Amino acid sequence: MRLSTGGTPALAGDGLFNELALELFHLQYERNAVLRRWARAHGVGPASIRHWTQITAIPTAAFKETDMTVLPDSERSTVFLSSGTTLRNSSRHYHNADSLAVYEASLWPWFSTHLLPASAPALDLLVLTPSANEAPHSSLVHMFETIGRKHRPLRSLFAARAGQTGVWHLDLGLALRFLEESVGMGRPLLVLGTAFMFVHLVDGLAERKIQIALPDGTRVLETGGYKGRSRTLEKAELHRLISDYLGVPSSHIVCEYGMAELSSQGYDRVVGSPTRGFRFPPWARMQVVSPETGLEVEPGEPGLIRVFDLANIYSSLAVQTEDLAIRSAEGCELIGRAPETEARGCSLLAV
Amino acid sequence: MNLPNYFIADLPPEAELSPTMVTEACQALKRNREKFLAHRSTAHLVAVLVRVGSEWLEPGSPFRKLALEYGPVALGFSRETLARGLDALFREFTPANFECLLEQDLGHLGRLDTLVAAPEEQRQSRAVLARGPELLAHITAGNLPNPAIMSITLGLLARSAQFVKCATARSWLPRLFAHSIYQAEPKLGACLEVAEWRGGNTALESAMFEEADFVTATGSDETLAQLAQRLPAGKRFLGYGHKVSFGYVAAGVLSGGFARRIAALAAADVTAWNQLGCLSPHLLYVQDGGTLPPVAFAELLAEELQERELIEPRGPQPVEIAAAIASRRSIYQLRAASSDETRLWASPDSTAWTVVWEADPRFQFSCLHRFIYVKTVRNLAEALQHAELVRDKVSTVGLAAPAEDIQAHAMELARWGVARICSLGKMQCPPLSWRHDGRPALGDLLSWTDWEM
Repeated sequence: MRLSTGGTPALAGDGLFNELALELFHLQYERNAVLRRWARAHGVGPASIRHWTQITAIPTAAFKETDMTVLPDSERSTVFLSSGTTLRNSSRHYHNADSLAVYEASLWPWFSTHLLPASAPALDLLVLTPSANEAPHSSLVHMFETIGRKHRPLRSLFAARAGQTGVWHLDLGLALRFLEESVGMGRPLLVLGTAFMFVHLVDGLAERKIQIALPDGTRVLETGGYKGRSRTLEKAELHRLISDYLGVPSSHIVCEYGMAELSSQGYDRVVGSPTRGFRFPPWARMQVVSPETGLEVEPGEPGLIRVFDLANIYSSLAVQTEDLAIRSAEGCELIGRAPETEARGCSLLAV
Repeated sequence: MNLPNYFIADLPPEAELSPTMVTEACQALKRNREKFLAHRSTAHLVAVLVRVGSEWLEPGSPFRKLALEYGPVALGFSRETLARGLDALFREFTPANFECLLEQDLGHLGRLDTLVAAPEEQRQSRAVLARGPELLAHITAGNLPNPAIMSITLGLLARSAQFVKCATARSWLPRLFAHSIYQAEPKLGACLEVAEWRGGNTALESAMFEEADFVTATGSDETLAQLAQRLPAGKRFLGYGHKVSFGYVAAGVLSGGFARRIAALAAADVTAWNQLGCLSPHLLYVQDGGTLPPVAFAELLAEELQERELIEPRGPQPVEIAAAIASRRSIYQLRAASSDETRLWASPDSTAWTVVWEADPRFQFSCLHRFIYVKTVRNLAEALQHAELVRDKVSTVGLAAPAEDIQAHAMELARWGVARICSLGKMQCPPLSWRHDGRPALGDLLSWTDWEM
């Protein structure tokens, strides 16, 4: 398998996507025993399908239960964990130098399409996560590092620290100083972070009774759930607080959807555009499927997100997530995650 | 749906409840109790309850019709599942069963009427009266109506005015039951209140606690602990925490033509109330070494669940629940694709039912809604060893064992601490005199007066 990582793949129509997806599925089927058994159990093989929608999606649980990779041990130079911290109960997505290069080549153009369209000014970069040194197994941090490297801002800061248990703590003082300096210089920012880190940031500002008006052109990328790491807010409420405390209008808050098990991401708007709806890049496809039938739901109906990601080369290109969304004309609207599906040792929550 | 406006829960959804409304309702209940309930005889109350129960069993009963018509949308059970659950509950409302309950919990049928002496009390020249609380408040939770309906029933026997606080969108059946009592005897209905609000509304709940002298609650252990802390001093509190149940099938009953019959009984337990009650099984331990291996029993169970689905469908569920089932299925499908120690059977093109067989005997909580685990064990001792994880949480064990072993099995389970042992197929059909979580449900509400003559 030769990987080319130069430039942005241009996949204009479904035909080329279909061709590449079937070819990649064939390779993965041949080399990944777990994937092959899964496909066979569903009566699917490379010879029996003609369209990418027929490829059996591997559940994210497979990344927890097995080593969902064709890479031999010796080539697994990087592993991304779903919690970003611990091997226990985490999905594991293995990479080598090649697949990391694909990961980076995949993330950058779609990120810049949505956050840094042509008119974007020079931006300072504030990231509300630890750096990759401190969080080497977080695919999100790797993505933010990559963005930092490609965007080459004049000033940048990773404003969180990973504690001994792997829990992330925002260094509020540091973040505030950085924000105030940008304001002082009149420089707009690119602020990247998880939902729970934004909660910590706005809570910290509220506590200090500080409201900041970040310079025009500032944009925010917010991603991920809460995982019990802060109080949980409705998305609209979080965005309102970000607008109130950082002076960034809702139109400049972009939501990202990604996970350790994927190599491409979805974004719900181009910064500044009026409507939202998650869309994946041309080298990926997203479906919202009924948990009852596994078939794609009608627009307006809720279901589980399924992603077909050509950048997932060494694992599985088709991934069945546990995230719920409503299919919409613009893509989909996230509504949450299926209740805990831990297979053993779960709490009494379902009783 | 034309229900008269007797209860707070009958108000239109936009009506806002205030603490004053709750206080005034409680005070009215207490006045009505003094006038209409406190001096009723047990025989009269039993007669009313038996009449109400038998009416609920009548296909033409307006309350039953309303329950079956609106229940599926309100509660997520199919009409057939609802009908079976309600039948199991109200069939217990017989004079003999009420007598059994009173004798069992109180030692004398007249105990709530006057000072009476059972034979052994006569020998000691004692007479004894049991008294119920003046105002009993119930905080009910969950999808099943049985706990709320039984609470109301026992509270009536105890001559208590009752305020029943239901969880949001869960008042439908308790409310219908209260209406059926109101219709049978309006004066008794006037001693009942049914309301619905989101748990944790401290203003409303404090108003209720202030007036009540006894509070019962069902919910998680955390909820119960929080409620108990919020009660003013001097109030009695009875909390029913969450429980889990499981089944045990001895190898000896899986021979000949019996295996399918046992699987059908297990399917009855899995489908009753869509497995959502504390008495429903999370898993079945099946003993290895008999004619039929546990994995084959699991397959029979899957067939029986499919049969059941045709006559008593599970009914549509919210996407979150379907997603949880689909996601959990995928874990076992993965394992089954790679190992012969796991197998899965599932309803086609739906999440209506799922059977997972695992050689691994560790206890596993189900995600319910007709999702059952079957696990292989060598014997009951091994099953209990693996159920140690939930030992203090076990309510019911549904047991299928050969006649010659069943006593020993029941004794082993009882010593281990199981509160209720019943035949497989009857897990969701406890008798009226069931000791709820191992405690006398009526007796626990009462206070006693001993007269040493």
